[in-house]
Amino acid sequence: MRPLDETETTTVFEKLFKFTGNNLKNIVENPSHEGPDPGSGRYCFRLHKNKVYYVSESLVKRATNIARTQLVSLGTCIGRFTHGGKFHLTVQCLSLLASNAKHKVWLKPTSEMSFLYGNHVLKGGLGRITENIVPGDGVVVFSMSDVHLGFGIAAKSTQDCRKLDPNGIVVLHQTDIGEYLRMEDEL
Amino acid sequence: METPQQQIQVDLGNLMAFDPHHSFPSIPSSREELVKECITKGTELVQAIANSLFNLPSTEDIDGPIVQLPRPETKLPRQKHLPVPKPPTKWETFAKTKGIKNRKRDKIAYDEPTETWKRRFGYDRANDENSVPIIEAKENDVPGEDPFAKRREDKKKRVEKQDKNRLQNLKQAAKIGALPSHVQLAATRLPITGTQSAAKKFSKDELGNVAGIAATATASGGKFDKKLPGEKPPKHKGKFRKFLPVVEGKGKQSQEKEQTDKVLNKLISKNSHEIFNVDKAVNMYNVRKDKKRKNKPGMSSSTLKPKKNIQKKPLKKGSSSKEKGK
Repeated sequence: MRPLDETETTTVFEKLFKFTGNNLKNIVENPSHEGPDPGSGRYCFRLHKNKVYYVSESLVKRATNIARTQLVSLGTCIGRFTHGGKFHLTVQCLSLLASNAKHKVWLKPTSEMSFLYGNHVLKGGLGRITENIVPGDGVVVFSMSDVHLGFGIAAKSTQDCRKLDPNGIVVLHQTDIGEYLRMEDEL
Repeated sequence: METPQQQIQVDLGNLMAFDPHHSFPSIPSSREELVKECITKGTELVQAIANSLFNLPSTEDIDGPIVQLPRPETKLPRQKHLPVPKPPTKWETFAKTKGIKNRKRDKIAYDEPTETWKRRFGYDRANDENSVPIIEAKENDVPGEDPFAKRREDKKKRVEKQDKNRLQNLKQAAKIGALPSHVQLAATRLPITGTQSAAKKFSKDELGNVAGIAATATASGGKFDKKLPGEKPPKHKGKFRKFLPVVEGKGKQSQEKEQTDKVLNKLISKNSHEIFNVDKAVNMYNVRKDKKRKNKPGMSSSTLKPKKNIQKKPLKKGSSSKEKGK
């Protein structure tokens, strides 16, 4: 387990910035109330076996007691670095993103299941969408009852969405909470 | 406006109000009461400032009335200490004891060889020693010596001596803290963060590490270079990556926090142009202008049109409802 390098930090923050925008500051400087120490520590990012974890500092202190080979996971895993050095966000960072997301999309009840199986979001399934989405932006997908279902990349801007035919893809699927069942081994 | 009982002194230059007769009638019992009383007193003072502001003569501007604030009355204390008078230099102390006074010289001097008036120093100066074509030999001259080279050597020595004296004078001044400001700035190398921390002094280990890194910067990686006496082999052979500590000890500011802050600020500033939504701002401005035009009575007579119902039709699909969550 070690803290992130400067280049690694930039890659991770850039990926997160696509989804949160300036709310990234809230994520990085979140005061944590875990642990018996008085005075809030903070949350920090730690790298362990190519996975990036979002942990509170008090937890990190205690996790140093576990040997490196025997430590499986700590805090919330937000993503992993691939062999080629790229950073992919995993589904476990969904709750963190959802509370700080800048662009949101709400799905109709009929197309929720389709999204949870891994399909992209079509225009016919779109309930609501926030303004000012640029294609290539990170978008968090919610159901109409405000349950976060997953996230993805916007394929079209908000204006273009209105002109699309009902079978056009609006949001490219990246991860959804169905992966907890489908890819139980890989998480 | 001042009522006879409370005389609040308002200094508009500093936008400050001060009540010299204020005192708490009774010690407030709890913190909340104290806060409340302070807030009510504060609102009175701010009201006094606002009243005097609006009494000033104002000029109209597109954004609203503008007033010119008078000069501030209260004198604020100095932010920095008074400059220390600089100590007299070595020459100045000597001149004082001997009673030597500085005499003013002309810019132009008479040049004997060409019998013209030339400047006292600089290009093409008067009585220039270096420009003589022939130097006559003297009795005590050694035959093999070049007198022109000797003159150049002498000049160099004189310049070096002068530099040494200048540095000594500066060191004397620095000892009592009276360095001239441009030298002070150069000496302390202010860090970019703006805090006045002490200038970083490189330790022996750090210099050794850097020397080791530099030594490997040759074409063959520094393998065949002769080592100087006392030079130790570089500490980390091969590729070396230094990582931050996993858990930060207490004491100085966390390096990890500094690093993350640096990265975050860079990222936010790179995308700061996206914070401002130009279209929305333009729309808001146009709407405000239209409203103003509607309010002006004289203008609307020529543009009497049936008022169209300008309402956004609620879209069936993909209606943009919520604002950007911030």
